Amino acid sequence: MASSPDHHLNGDPKTHISKKPKLSPTFITAAEIAAEFSHHDPNVARINNGSFGSCPASVIEAQQRWQLKYLAQPDHFYFNELKKGIHQSRTIIKELINADHVDEVSIVDNATTAAAIVLQQTAWGFSERKFDKGDAVVMLHYAYGAVKKSIEAYVTRAGGYVIEVPLPFPLKSNDEIIAEFKKALERGKANGRRVRLAVIDHITSMPCVVIPVEELVKICREEGVDQIFVDAAHSIGCTDVDMKRIGADYYTSNLHKWFFCPPSIAFLYCRKSPKCPELHHPVVSHEYGNGLAIESAWIGTRDYSPQLVVPSVLEFINRFEGGIEGIKKRNHETVVEMGQMLAKAWGTHLGCPPEMCASMIMIGLPACLGILSEKDTHKLRTHLREKFGVEVPIYFRPPKNGEVESINGYCRISHQVYNKVDDYYKFRDAINQLVSEGFTCAQLSS
Amino acid sequence: MAEKIIMFFRYYVPRFLCPNLSFRISRPSNRHYHKLNHNDTQTQVSVKQKPSSFITDTEIQSEFSHHAPGIARINNGSFGCCPASVISSLHQWQLKLLRQPDDFYLNELPNGILESRTVIKDLINADDVEEVSIVDNVSTAVAIVLKQTAWSFVEGKFDKGDAVIMFRCTYGAVKNSIKAYFLRAGGYAIEVPFNFPVTSNEEIVNEFKTALRREKGIGRRVRLAVIDHVTCMPSFVMPVKELVKICKEEGVEQVLVDAAHAVGCVDVDMNEIRADFYTGNLYKWFFCPPAVAFLYCRKSVMTHLDLHHPVVSHDYGNGLVKETGWVGTRDYSPYLVLPSVMEFVNRFEGGAEGIRNRNHDAVVEMGKMLAEAWGTNLGCPPEMCSSMVMVGLPACLGVLSDEDAMKLWELLCKKFSVEVKIHYQNPKDGELAPITGYVRICHQIYNKFEDYCRLRDAINQLVRDGFNCGNLEVCMFLPSSTFLVCRLPFIFGFFPRTRF
Repeated sequence: MASSPDHHLNGDPKTHISKKPKLSPTFITAAEIAAEFSHHDPNVARINNGSFGSCPASVIEAQQRWQLKYLAQPDHFYFNELKKGIHQSRTIIKELINADHVDEVSIVDNATTAAAIVLQQTAWGFSERKFDKGDAVVMLHYAYGAVKKSIEAYVTRAGGYVIEVPLPFPLKSNDEIIAEFKKALERGKANGRRVRLAVIDHITSMPCVVIPVEELVKICREEGVDQIFVDAAHSIGCTDVDMKRIGADYYTSNLHKWFFCPPSIAFLYCRKSPKCPELHHPVVSHEYGNGLAIESAWIGTRDYSPQLVVPSVLEFINRFEGGIEGIKKRNHETVVEMGQMLAKAWGTHLGCPPEMCASMIMIGLPACLGILSEKDTHKLRTHLREKFGVEVPIYFRPPKNGEVESINGYCRISHQVYNKVDDYYKFRDAINQLVSEGFTCAQLSS
Repeated sequence: MAEKIIMFFRYYVPRFLCPNLSFRISRPSNRHYHKLNHNDTQTQVSVKQKPSSFITDTEIQSEFSHHAPGIARINNGSFGCCPASVISSLHQWQLKLLRQPDDFYLNELPNGILESRTVIKDLINADDVEEVSIVDNVSTAVAIVLKQTAWSFVEGKFDKGDAVIMFRCTYGAVKNSIKAYFLRAGGYAIEVPFNFPVTSNEEIVNEFKTALRREKGIGRRVRLAVIDHVTCMPSFVMPVKELVKICKEEGVEQVLVDAAHAVGCVDVDMNEIRADFYTGNLYKWFFCPPAVAFLYCRKSVMTHLDLHHPVVSHDYGNGLVKETGWVGTRDYSPYLVLPSVMEFVNRFEGGAEGIRNRNHDAVVEMGKMLAEAWGTNLGCPPEMCSSMVMVGLPACLGVLSDEDAMKLWELLCKKFSVEVKIHYQNPKDGELAPITGYVRICHQIYNKFEDYCRLRDAINQLVRDGFNCGNLEVCMFLPSSTFLVCRLPFIFGFFPRTRF
């Protein structure tokens, strides 16, 4: 079921990954998967892979080997091993994401860092008068909170005008997103403004949906948006990631969420283009001015081991039938199945159609639970963790005018290779128990 | 007397073989963790000494048995070191995170960081734990401070041409950061020269005063001073207290002390030094794993300056302490091991101070031994040394450029298994056969007398063989063509070389 590696694969989706999955049928077994994740707390139904990801034991061991190598003789490591190792990781990523050239691929700590890198150059654009005060930056209303703050810290502070694209939730189709985005771009261009940057999520965090990035990037190009930055924190290992197809200027994704790397590692793709200005890592060190990829590979003495284990991660992934494509497909199918099971059990609905999901899905929680604010979502989440051993994030959807007894709380369940169907049953039963007890969030203390 | 006896045994008694790994890689599947003295409930860090049983020499060697054998590792200053018990603690934290990350990040991480910040606050004698933020390394701390100066230019608080003052030996990465933020935003850089070898604090102070007054005299506003506490290359201890005082007297608005080496190496007292910003790495001389550092910001400064971590996350606007406590999903475990490090340090007689004093005494003794063996000199008086000292190399070796220094460093590493940094010092005009090459030797608790003997003998052999740097081919570490373009400046010394 949820954890079976033998889940039938309907056809082989196209793959551009250079390292093809093993052809021999000695795929990883369920017992081996369980062993790889035996360091997870066994008492927790861990259905929140989307937040912090997961890392198998064999990759943790590889990471510790790298750490020890460094500690054994750091000078030698710095001069002989580090750059080579990072370059190898970058090369693998370049293949995975179908980038043209390894120079386009920098490794950074996380998508938050990548956002700071892109937005910092936007801020310089304003400060150095390349952009006019009041020129716009467009982002989705559901942009990640930390990215919104980064936009405030860099764009607003430097004199930019920020436009949020409102999106409905629940969502019915991509058309709703595209329509709102187009409207927002028009607002951005009003009064002779230029839209200097569009920040588009590939998979929004909360509420979670897959955004039609290809179409949005096309629209941006048609409308003369200067630069397009796709925040794809979740994407790699979760949905298809193809730089040439998507066509953005900048694209970042974490590898510690859905690609089995230890915390933390992400890539920032920067399309080679004469109009894209030089980007810099905000932590400046010896390699300043040598290009972002080289700058990012040395930002002072650090533990770079998470950035060096990508080859080991690929080995792990290729033990699964279909490699990463197989994992993605099975995760998606299972999470949709579990989502539908929960929606049926609670008498609610999904937050979007299955085709707008990847390895995560939003499900409405029964209205009687009384989720009336964001604070309630935190309280309920803590309650589920502490009382029921269920780890799941919850989203508060403010009711629209005139809505009565609407579903305002949605959970976001994830499915990763270590999950079992019991995890979702545990959650289902916990909510059912709360409903039968007449529980409301108001009963929980702050 | 007791200390001399201990030093004798450490230097002259042959070391016993230790197992290669004194700790196990903690396999999650077998859940076996290396025993250590980690106390999960410890909130107040005690700096009191454990009575009697101090760490033994065998235990020290065991703690560092993961160091590559057969190398005379006399370059602790570059990358530091981390004992096995602290590595074990690090792995425990990492596994805790991986076990249940949501719970960890929400509940354990903030407490753990506060505990570490409290340890640091006590170590550096800061008034308030709110003055102490934890960051990855000094490079990050410098970016934080310089970024706010860049905004000051952009937002009109500073005028174009306002200056930053620093010494010529300011660390290369810091100079780059100044270029990336302060200069790019319209500022001007003043570099203060000084003579090396240094002979006294007074000459340093005078050079600084002269440069500062000269610039002020032509109407330049000096907004920021960046002062090393312990310089990297060439290495000596700056009279920071006096320099900070002069800055304040001369109206320099902000003083940043780059103390990358200081903690664990020299006395560090915020109430004595009184800088506005003070940053130090803890993985160099304070036994932390890579990488963890702190940025101290004087309370009076924080109230009117807008300081932000450049990696903006959820806590943006909630104060630097909170911002640095979360910069996105990361492995924060190096930030969390400070209590374990204190436990380690307190196994030594005299604790951190005892270690510092013994390192200093030993490195000065070794420096003098080498200078005598080579017929050269130290780079500064012993009282201006920390746990590192510069020792002149025989002039006949012909270290006549940064490139020569790199070549010699590589040769010592590859041929003699000696890891030590080499510095090229520009000769003063008119000097004949000057000593232009210096080694920077370090002493940390794992070092042995034989390490320095090996260096001594290696240089003596090179001298006997008539070796000259001019005879060596270009750096054998010449990287692959992929990196050639970017590494060339590095090799030929246009970059302030990686002189960690």
